[in-house]
Amino acid sequence: MGNNSDEKTKKVIDKHYLSGKEVRAIAKANAKEMRRLEKAKNRVIPESEYVTQMRDENNILEIENLHSYFFTDQGVVKAVNGVSFDIPLNSTVGVVGESGCGKSVTSMSVMRLLQGPSGQIVEGSIRFKAYDFKVDPNGEYIPVYVKDEDGNVVMEEELNEDGTPRLLKDGSPVLKPKLMRDENGMTVYEKEEKVFDIAKMPIKQMYRLRGRQMSMVFQEPMTSLNPIFTIGDQLDEVTLLHVPGATKAMAKEHSINMLNLVGIAMPERVYKSYPHELSGGMRQRVMIAMALAGEPRLIIADEPTTALDVTIQAQILSLFNDLKKRINGSILLITHDLGVIAEMADYVVVMYAGRIIEKGTASEIFHKPCHPYTQGLQKSKPTMTSSEDKLFNIPGNVPNPINMPDHCYFKERCGKCLKKCSGDYPEMVQVSPTHFVACHLYAEEEKRG
Amino acid sequence: MFKYILKRIGISILILLGVSLILYILLRCMPTDFVEQKILALYTAGVDVSPEFIEEMYKSYGLNGTILEGYFSWLWNFVRLDFGTSFISHREVLSDIFNPGRLGTSFYVAAIATVFEFLIAIPLGITAATHQYSFIDYLVTVLVLIGISLPSFFFGQMLKDLFANKLGWFPVSGMGDKTVSLTGTAAFIDYLRHMFLPILTVVILSIGGRMRMTRTNMLEVMNADYIRTARAKGLSEGKVIYKHAFRNTLIPIVTGLAGLIPSLFSGAMITETVFDLEGIGKYALNAMTQGDIPVIMTYNMFLAFLSVLGVLMSDLMYGIVDPRVKLA
Repeated sequence: MGNNSDEKTKKVIDKHYLSGKEVRAIAKANAKEMRRLEKAKNRVIPESEYVTQMRDENNILEIENLHSYFFTDQGVVKAVNGVSFDIPLNSTVGVVGESGCGKSVTSMSVMRLLQGPSGQIVEGSIRFKAYDFKVDPNGEYIPVYVKDEDGNVVMEEELNEDGTPRLLKDGSPVLKPKLMRDENGMTVYEKEEKVFDIAKMPIKQMYRLRGRQMSMVFQEPMTSLNPIFTIGDQLDEVTLLHVPGATKAMAKEHSINMLNLVGIAMPERVYKSYPHELSGGMRQRVMIAMALAGEPRLIIADEPTTALDVTIQAQILSLFNDLKKRINGSILLITHDLGVIAEMADYVVVMYAGRIIEKGTASEIFHKPCHPYTQGLQKSKPTMTSSEDKLFNIPGNVPNPINMPDHCYFKERCGKCLKKCSGDYPEMVQVSPTHFVACHLYAEEEKRG
Repeated sequence: MFKYILKRIGISILILLGVSLILYILLRCMPTDFVEQKILALYTAGVDVSPEFIEEMYKSYGLNGTILEGYFSWLWNFVRLDFGTSFISHREVLSDIFNPGRLGTSFYVAAIATVFEFLIAIPLGITAATHQYSFIDYLVTVLVLIGISLPSFFFGQMLKDLFANKLGWFPVSGMGDKTVSLTGTAAFIDYLRHMFLPILTVVILSIGGRMRMTRTNMLEVMNADYIRTARAKGLSEGKVIYKHAFRNTLIPIVTGLAGLIPSLFSGAMITETVFDLEGIGKYALNAMTQGDIPVIMTYNMFLAFLSVLGVLMSDLMYGIVDPRVKLA
């Protein structure tokens, strides 16, 4: 990102309006930057450039200093501005924050689904530990062969189409190595663990990860299914795409299993239905079934219950809780609902205006919230036991995303401001081994202590 | 479904009645009619015309009564399938209009042009949409806008001047080489050579609208949530565009096809005049300027019938291609 256009944006905001000349200047600077980033998305690079190592082997996803920007004619919107957090294996990480704080953009960045050319990952790395098929130099998957006790490959007779053994000219049978098959009769292929830096991956390589390694449940079940294909068609697609050698019949069986798994009563009928024939809750279940069909290790749920009514919400959440145990993977749960987070998450990340202001385990965030914003969020949650007449609300609004101040973004709305708050943006302060907060209040304490 | 179609046919008949009434009134309100023109011609030739003769003329063409009287007598004949004789040629209107050389010519030009229009405009629209704001998008949009904006009489003349007069690749006008008598393949090739420029004109002028429509639809679909879902599944961009997005874009295109039925038979009036083709468009234009009421009424009722049919067909198509639409 050039400093040049940053300065331009700043000038613009001071005046509260944009002249045509300024809009053109911004658009020109943006176009140049967007072209560069779009080109980077589509270039062909050797695998070594985006295969890396995890910092901690126990994590499945490590996001480090992620910057995702939107290039608009009014200026650059820094939707995600230096976000870092980890998702450990077999855990649920919740990301909370109000609308427009960059939660969804973070999840879209992980899937590389930001709408180009205006939405782009500008900086940072997203390391993901994939467990994918091994490929030989020709790009083919390597099958696993059955071995006997001595470690020799078992050979079997090759059969003709009519089932009789194929014979050589001298009458001896043709032998071939025996393929290992799973319980469904599918060939088993060799797999390996590999760490990819998603932020640097060419978009074509992402096709290998999406759906198979990581999948996403979107917040709008009503519009997230293609209206002209049946549920079955859309579910089968995932299996056909990600299971090598899958046939239509196998895909159907798998899809119906998945529909059963997410608690749909008449899977055979739903399989044949079109999306408009289902209710919102059913559609969200179908979306979840679709996300599970490729057996991913990471499920990103972007406000999965926001569009649903409360009774369905509870069902969907308990479904997610069951699933986590089943898939032996991790869930990244994006929501603005603290109740959902409390029920689901092991770790919580609180975002505000594109930055992380506090992160820690769920119990730390709920029982010892440090940042004044997190405390405000807690207070603004309706409870049955509260004796107050009015629900607490945090005064003020989120700052203009185009021109962020240099000081703490929450300063204008904060009741606990120090003199220092007008200075630089606060650094992350560690208050416990797992609990971090970006607030000057605690930087002071740390110094004193 | 059957009931729905019956209901729609019933409504269509009412619409056609209304169309015929308005058409007839408009025709009779034209500032000059056929008899007037004829008498003026006689008068300028120096023939002395008496008022009685004029009266007689009006009577013989059935234009002596009031407009409503005229309309009902026309309608009475029309429902008995008596379409009358042309004022100009004194031939049966039906055989004049449904002459294979006349309607056929217009139909071939329109049909071939429509096929090419779709084959060119839809891929262009998709490319422009999937490369939105890129150089190729701007280029296609500008070229296509030029196409829309060019009037056919001007563009046709330009093509004629370049390819026929200057380069001599194609004949200037007409439907066939009258200086030699050709048969079989040679005649067919000669016919194609004569049709090439008119078809090219129609295609280039019509690509624009179709392409813009495809681009707009495609853009709308590409921004839909289910396209994001398709990408999140791990589908390649090609599959996302041609399976998930294009199938949705196809809905308005396919249903729009049925709406094209009348335009296949209406003839390209101006293009036919520029290239001197004996098509239905040129014929109808001629009938119009001379006030040939039986011809104009029959021709326009034929088109109105096709339009009503096209609308019905396109509604039925919706029920077939879009699972969300149920006709009842």
